[in-house]
Amino acid sequence: MEDLLKPDIGVMILTICNFLLLAYLLKRFAWKGIIGALEKREQQIASDKQQAQEARADAEKIKAELEEKLNRLSEETSQKIAQAVALGQTQREQLLAGAKEEAERMLAQAREQIAAEKDQALAEVRDEIVRTAVLAAKQVVREDIDASHAQAAVDRVLNEIKQK
Amino acid sequence: MNVADTIAHHILDHNWGITLGGISLPITTHSVIIFSVSVVLLCLLAWISRPHTSRAGRLLTTLLEEYVSFIRDGLVLPNMGAEGKGFLPYFCTLFLFILSVNLAGMIPGLKTATSNISVTAALALCSGGIILYSGLKFHGVIGFIKGFVPSGTPMWLVPLIFPLEVISTVIKVCVLAIRLFANMLSGHMVLICLLLIIFIVGQMKFSAGVLSVFPAMGLEIFMTCLELLVAFLQAYVFSLLTAIFAGSVIHTH
Repeated sequence: MEDLLKPDIGVMILTICNFLLLAYLLKRFAWKGIIGALEKREQQIASDKQQAQEARADAEKIKAELEEKLNRLSEETSQKIAQAVALGQTQREQLLAGAKEEAERMLAQAREQIAAEKDQALAEVRDEIVRTAVLAAKQVVREDIDASHAQAAVDRVLNEIKQK
Repeated sequence: MNVADTIAHHILDHNWGITLGGISLPITTHSVIIFSVSVVLLCLLAWISRPHTSRAGRLLTTLLEEYVSFIRDGLVLPNMGAEGKGFLPYFCTLFLFILSVNLAGMIPGLKTATSNISVTAALALCSGGIILYSGLKFHGVIGFIKGFVPSGTPMWLVPLIFPLEVISTVIKVCVLAIRLFANMLSGHMVLICLLLIIFIVGQMKFSAGVLSVFPAMGLEIFMTCLELLVAFLQAYVFSLLTAIFAGSVIHTH
């Protein structure tokens, strides 16, 4: 049992040589490839991550630009709608004013026409009355009339007037 | 053969007595096991690291990559910083080698070479070499020697501090060897002692010996599980402490 703590120099040297040779050979034939592949993959992941972040930043930039453009378009549309509404209101008022003016003009014209026709009718009636009166007077003068004759004459005149 | 001899026979290394030109070669059971483990590791890892088309091959490659990531991100970079990246292959080999040799002792017929002080001392010397190389590589000879004295130490304390720090570094390396040796040895001694309970009790009374098989085997299974844990734990501790010591030399006070 006392040999437990007695180092064997030969075994030590052999173990050191064995271990160092194994470390060298594994580095050359195993770890080099594995570490290389691992680092390559990590670089690829980092690169993809970087690209994804850049793409995201670009997308956010484009989104912001589009939102700005959309807001601008919305504002422009609102302005144009307001302008169109104002223009429509003005045109409506103009049309209403025009129509009112036209109606008034037509009304005035109709009144004038009515007045003219009324005057004309009155003149015609006056002429007819004058003529009838003259005719009646002629009849009165021409015949010796009594009351029945006078009445008959008036009736005749009136009939003539009616017939006309 | 008494109990002590039985235990010693199982634990101790055996020289095969091979000589070359009258000089006895250090061909022992432990050195043969170490060599065999090395050959198996080399062939297996070289095969795994090759490009594979089969699913199983790719799975093994991925497992190996995960192992390398674990050593790099769990051991080397946190303790040695970016400067330790060049030492990654060494630590990958160190952990796997110690673990494989530890686990080889669990296979019936094989022995745990790490329960041999010569083997653990050799591994500790390699780690000492790495610590020394790290210091010399990153600080040069003068810088490495200066690193033993913390900055701000009064001049009159330097003659006291310097040898203490040098001895401390040497002790750290020695402790690496002793820790691994003692842990692996004690586990196996306990396993053998538990088995010997059956025979000792059986010599006293045969029927009692037969009955003692059950508690002894239960304890044996428990200790074997513990040994498995210790095999992983000691490989990790050895590698971690080597990385910490090398890191402390690279990043001095």
